[in-house]
Amino acid sequence: MKMTTDDKILEAAFAQARVPDAMPSEALMDRIMMDADSVLADAMPVLERPRQGLGAMLLDAIGGWPSFSGLAAATVAGLWIGVAPPAALTDLSATYFGSTIEVPLWEGDVFAGLEG
Amino acid sequence: MTDQADDQSDADLLAAFAGGDRGAAMVLTQRLTPRVMGQAYRMLGNRAEAEDVAQDAMMRLWKIAPDWDADRAKVTTWLYRVVANLCTDILRKSGRGVALDSIEEPSSDAQSVADTMQDTARTQALHGALADLPERQAQAVALRHLEELGNPEIADIMDTNVRTVESLIARGKRALIAKLSGRKAELGYEDDH
Repeated sequence: MKMTTDDKILEAAFAQARVPDAMPSEALMDRIMMDADSVLADAMPVLERPRQGLGAMLLDAIGGWPSFSGLAAATVAGLWIGVAPPAALTDLSATYFGSTIEVPLWEGDVFAGLEG
Repeated sequence: MTDQADDQSDADLLAAFAGGDRGAAMVLTQRLTPRVMGQAYRMLGNRAEAEDVAQDAMMRLWKIAPDWDADRAKVTTWLYRVVANLCTDILRKSGRGVALDSIEEPSSDAQSVADTMQDTARTQALHGALADLPERQAQAVALRHLEELGNPEIADIMDTNVRTVESLIARGKRALIAKLSGRKAELGYEDDH
């Protein structure tokens, strides 16, 4: 088929626009990989929270190990004060509540007759 | 990435990416981006726009990876279609047709400044004329005369048959000639022919 002048003009314009593949910039390649990373991150399944035992749940409820150690120290201190109250504390309670009395836990000797 | 990955098909790499393999994405990026960028640049004649199209097309590839059906299409065919669609969108919205006095003076020593400016003006005139074509005609003409693909492959890309492609190209070229003929003197074609 014979090419007209107009065909030649058009073919010349196409030839000028037919440049070889443009080499992408490093910045573009980085952006494309960042997009790939974001798609990968979105596709990852949400990790299931591991099941907790009762002890771990209680520990979480009071604020973790630091809170637990403080609570344990306070408990020991309270027990010690109950067993061997300081003199100042005894005097103070006597002032407010009158003289102290001792109430035996057991009437008499519960072990009487059991000795061999 | 290993040589083994370099030998894998695009579809296999895409499946590996869908399975969480970042290395597969790196190979695909290196392999496909120059071609995608090249197609966009030839159709738009603007590097910044071509980069945006390339990034957009690759993002669409990453997103479609989990649903990719290797029996249905080749990755490159699919990318040709995506890039052609993105480019015609940009051409239609931007409204090309640059005045000759707005073309920057080139710094090339190899060719006379006047010749280089004329070449640039002719290329821009072609892109402007492509922008005015109906979308399907512009895509068919660009795939045939800028990408130099065969009509059966263009038919695959455009999801149509060869006869329709032939018709789109013929009508598109007639419209381009009509648009460029009116600017023969301005573009210096009368001196050449």
